[in-house]
Amino acid sequence: MIEVEGLSKKFGSTIAVDDLTFSVHPGNVTGFLGPNGAGKSTTMRAILGLVRPTAGTTAVLGKRYSELDDPARHVGTLLETFDAHPGRSGRNHLRVLALAAGIPRSRVEEVLSLVDLREAGKRRVKGYSLGMRQRLGLAAALLGDPEVLVLDEPANGLDPQGMRWLREFLRALAGEGRTILISSHVLAEVAQTVDEVVIIHRGKLVRQAAMGDVEAMAAGSTTVRSPSADQLAVLLAEGGIEAILGEDGRLSVVAPPERVGEIAAEHGIVLHELTVERASLEEIFLELTGDPGERGA
Amino acid sequence: MTRLFASELLKMRTIRTPWGFAVAAVGLGGLLAAGHIGSPPKEGRLASDYQFDLFLSAAFPAVVLALLLGILLFTNEFRHGTISRTLLVTPRRPTLVALKLMVGAAAGVGLALLAVATAAVIAVIWLGIIDVPLQIGDEADAVWRSLLAAALVGALGAAVGGVVHSQVGALVGTLVWLFVAEPIIWVLLGLVHIGGVADYLPAVTVLSILDTHGQNLSFAATAGMAVVWIAVASALAVIRTSRRDIT
Repeated sequence: MIEVEGLSKKFGSTIAVDDLTFSVHPGNVTGFLGPNGAGKSTTMRAILGLVRPTAGTTAVLGKRYSELDDPARHVGTLLETFDAHPGRSGRNHLRVLALAAGIPRSRVEEVLSLVDLREAGKRRVKGYSLGMRQRLGLAAALLGDPEVLVLDEPANGLDPQGMRWLREFLRALAGEGRTILISSHVLAEVAQTVDEVVIIHRGKLVRQAAMGDVEAMAAGSTTVRSPSADQLAVLLAEGGIEAILGEDGRLSVVAPPERVGEIAAEHGIVLHELTVERASLEEIFLELTGDPGERGA
Repeated sequence: MTRLFASELLKMRTIRTPWGFAVAAVGLGGLLAAGHIGSPPKEGRLASDYQFDLFLSAAFPAVVLALLLGILLFTNEFRHGTISRTLLVTPRRPTLVALKLMVGAAAGVGLALLAVATAAVIAVIWLGIIDVPLQIGDEADAVWRSLLAAALVGALGAAVGGVVHSQVGALVGTLVWLFVAEPIIWVLLGLVHIGGVADYLPAVTVLSILDTHGQNLSFAATAGMAVVWIAVASALAVIRTSRRDIT
């Protein structure tokens, strides 16, 4: 369980996080979403005790992170910035962490195998590709077989195969009752992985909702093409359904396709096209997180 | 705490920089020991305190290297961004500062041991060839003074790194303090007739453990004053490190 209560963080005059409250529950993968600069990384670092909140509190497993005994055995973390010494080998990087946390050395080999870095483990980290660095970070996060995972942009640098592996792996971990928080600035990237989303913008909470509810928001209008489009528009209007006739002769109807089809059939109207227009997850995300002008900045 | 200390030692052993310092301690220590034996006439080698000075001079570069390595042990964390991961494993920052001090001291002892061991090998062989008897008592006195000085200086270096997290800033600042600021202060204090105060300055204090010539304070007072300076620097390191946001 991760709890964030009234969290605020100012850097000088810049408000990075503003009175943010949310919780992440065991057994769920929770997506922590927002555009770049929304305050996701700062919030995660505050949860992990790396950033001191200006106001509010954070708790992991009921305690402040710094109060956990052997935190690396309870909380696995992957931060956006790479945190291994470039001159140390990947295996030694994990050995250092394992020794500090009292984790057996055999576990180092297990996680290296898990992320497919066993062969590369002896190489110095500065020779690793971006994807290898990300996998080493994931290995470090999984080292203590933790109950809680906090992963900042975990899919960065992974190839499609790696992303698929990560998705399935996180789902399996959540299935074991673990608490997982993953951040991303791309909703579609995590849509298949998460059960719940926490969306923030400019440091403020925009929405915390089940992923199913967000997907429901994407359901939109129905597009109809018919040789009797004018007549169908009138009939739909009589039924209290808004229909707009476009210049291309298509009708855009604010109603499910089943209802449009039934009305057309009742009046013997021929249809050439009946298409559901769904907003993409990205469109929903962008709608929730601000205006296009800001996003381009 | 034992696990964390062992982890910090492993951290140090698994990168190349400390090994470079070890090679430098051996090379410089050996060079100074050889110079110390080779340069004076035979009567000089029989003089009182000769073998004591031989070991101290061989250990001197190791003590300076211990200071620099102590600084690097802490500032490397910030330079390479490894501080995030370190604090995730050791989130209590005063504990981290204490660990770094311990590792700095251990690294200092290691460097001094290498230097005096090199000096010992050279001294035993060379002095044996020219029939100068070994004075084990003087040598042992010099060795433990060297180890103590290196341990204190290593810890002081780590504390300085905990205060000034910028690696370049910490290294340059320390060298400027050692070779420019403190000598100027020392001269100024002499001009205003309070030269005795200079005996309490950080570099003078710590290096006086090694250099007994012209020393005004007792050994115990010197070592005690060095510990006071380390305590001051450590307190500042705890405050500075605890207040810093790791972004």
